[in-house]
Amino acid sequence: MKENSMYEMKACGALIKRNVHMFFKDKGTFFTSLITPIILLVLYATFLYNVYEDSFASAFPPGTPIDEELLSGLVGGLLLASLLAVSGVTVPFCANLFMVQDKVTGARNDFSITPMKPHSIAISYYFATVINGLIVCFVALGAGLIYLACIGWYLSLADVGLLFLDVVLLVLFGTALSSVICYPLQSQGAMSAVGTIVSAGYGFICGAYMPLSQFSVGLRNILGFLPGTYATSLIKTHALQGVCEEFTAQGYPVDAVKEIKDVADCNLYFFENAVPTWVSYTVLIGSIVLLIGVFVLMNVLSARTKTKNEK
Amino acid sequence: MENIIVINNLYKSYGEVKAVQNLSFRVKKGELFAFLGLNGAGKSTTISIMCGQLKKDKGSVEINGMNIDEHPAQIKRELGVVFQNSVLDKPLSVEQNLKTRAALYGIEGEAFDARLKELCDTFDLWDILKRPIGKLSGGQKRRVDVARALIHKPSILILDEPTTGLDPQTRKAVWGIIEKLRKTQNMTVFLTTHYMEEAADADYVVILDAGQIAAEGTPLELKNEFTGDYITLYGAEESEVQKLGKPYEKTADGYRVEVENTQEATSFILQYPELFEDYEIVKGKMDDVFLAATGKSLGGENA
Repeated sequence: MKENSMYEMKACGALIKRNVHMFFKDKGTFFTSLITPIILLVLYATFLYNVYEDSFASAFPPGTPIDEELLSGLVGGLLLASLLAVSGVTVPFCANLFMVQDKVTGARNDFSITPMKPHSIAISYYFATVINGLIVCFVALGAGLIYLACIGWYLSLADVGLLFLDVVLLVLFGTALSSVICYPLQSQGAMSAVGTIVSAGYGFICGAYMPLSQFSVGLRNILGFLPGTYATSLIKTHALQGVCEEFTAQGYPVDAVKEIKDVADCNLYFFENAVPTWVSYTVLIGSIVLLIGVFVLMNVLSARTKTKNEK
Repeated sequence: MENIIVINNLYKSYGEVKAVQNLSFRVKKGELFAFLGLNGAGKSTTISIMCGQLKKDKGSVEINGMNIDEHPAQIKRELGVVFQNSVLDKPLSVEQNLKTRAALYGIEGEAFDARLKELCDTFDLWDILKRPIGKLSGGQKRRVDVARALIHKPSILILDEPTTGLDPQTRKAVWGIIEKLRKTQNMTVFLTTHYMEEAADADYVVILDAGQIAAEGTPLELKNEFTGDYITLYGAEESEVQKLGKPYEKTADGYRVEVENTQEATSFILQYPELFEDYEIVKGKMDDVFLAATGKSLGGENA
């Protein structure tokens, strides 16, 4: 029994290693997963940076002299938060498409003829996707922190720690969501369609390209039902917390700082009710648990479907 | 010889489609067993059930003395499968592929290194060990596929149309490897193929049609039962050939005459010795057996 568990763990580990290797070796999939973050960087480089700088500056009373470094720290923090918010979902989605690709190429068949249990194979896909997502997001976070250190560093150690926590939770969420969506897919066409839709659409609906505060009330309320919204808000809160506190400490109007937080989605509203941080964490963790439960259920039902004709 | 695969009264349906119906056969240890049938005949379903990928509706499957319902994991260790298309990871090297697959059978560290060396020696993989699968030729890929199937030293090698799409030289090379394995390791080979000449070399053949056995036996038994013999006469005149009173066709160098069996051919030789100065007698082909047994040609057309 113990030997079997040991074997399953080792086989699972080998498959995780293979899946991680495949993601980084397959340049096509790897770069596809980075399309959304790259688009975001291009948008910031071309015009979004200036748009946000002007928008945040306009929150203060006319004529208020604004510290350039603080403003840079604010926009830079928003860029970092947006980058992490999209990467935390789009990277796991593309990484998880290997689950579908393996069905198309027949590699999944090759795994299923080994003594490995089907649930171990499913687990290996999940954890490989988590690892792939974390590697990319942590690299992005590290690069972002270096960038912030260059243009204006206002983060506390706790903020950095919470950012890491948010990224972990977002990647777990992105992996669970993509596992549920990718599990039934069987063809290359379906795989491409899902990859394209997620890469193209998620940047908008999570508020990375444009904060949700800029959307209409109706759309904001609809997006309030998506757990990814809460993850984005948490990341933005922790990325901008330090710089907002510094604004207040330097005597800038409290109302203006609150308005900046509202505009940047640090303050999240669900049907006009402010959502506390703990609720955001609860929604995010709850949705991760729920989605993993659905993924497990899908695996169980699939195994039963295969055996339903057995007499 | 003892039976290594015993299948009794196997049934499997997909909704209304009866993929396998009351299928029973045996495979002897060390034998080259050919499983023939058109697409949809039930070959892949049977193999999937044997490999534990699909549950049967009814019947029993025993491999190496173990029942598949009771020992699915152990049975998987007895089987090595070469799929029709290579299922290895194209971006990864030969070594990485073999290492991953070996780990799925619990073979790691020194045990893997030793097995890798054996396989590299057997299949001449040393030069391509570090190369990605995607960069290999068709023949090289096939060698790696067979090596992957044997990574855990299975007692049965299942070849699912292993030479489909390969050029003749590569097909010959693949068969050379399989023959070597059979001779040196007494390996049981379970083959499905569309190439009838490959089935002609089998020890035992089962022809499947619509999920049921249409014919079975050794190639010789099948040829004797389902086809006649053919005499090819060289340098004979057509008027003389007509004397035999049997159906014939003109070939590039002579005439091919269809006779009932070898005894009839012998009687013609004795009766018309002047006709038989330069000749050959051959059994019917496995294509003819397949056609006679199923009423279908391997092209999928009804005869």
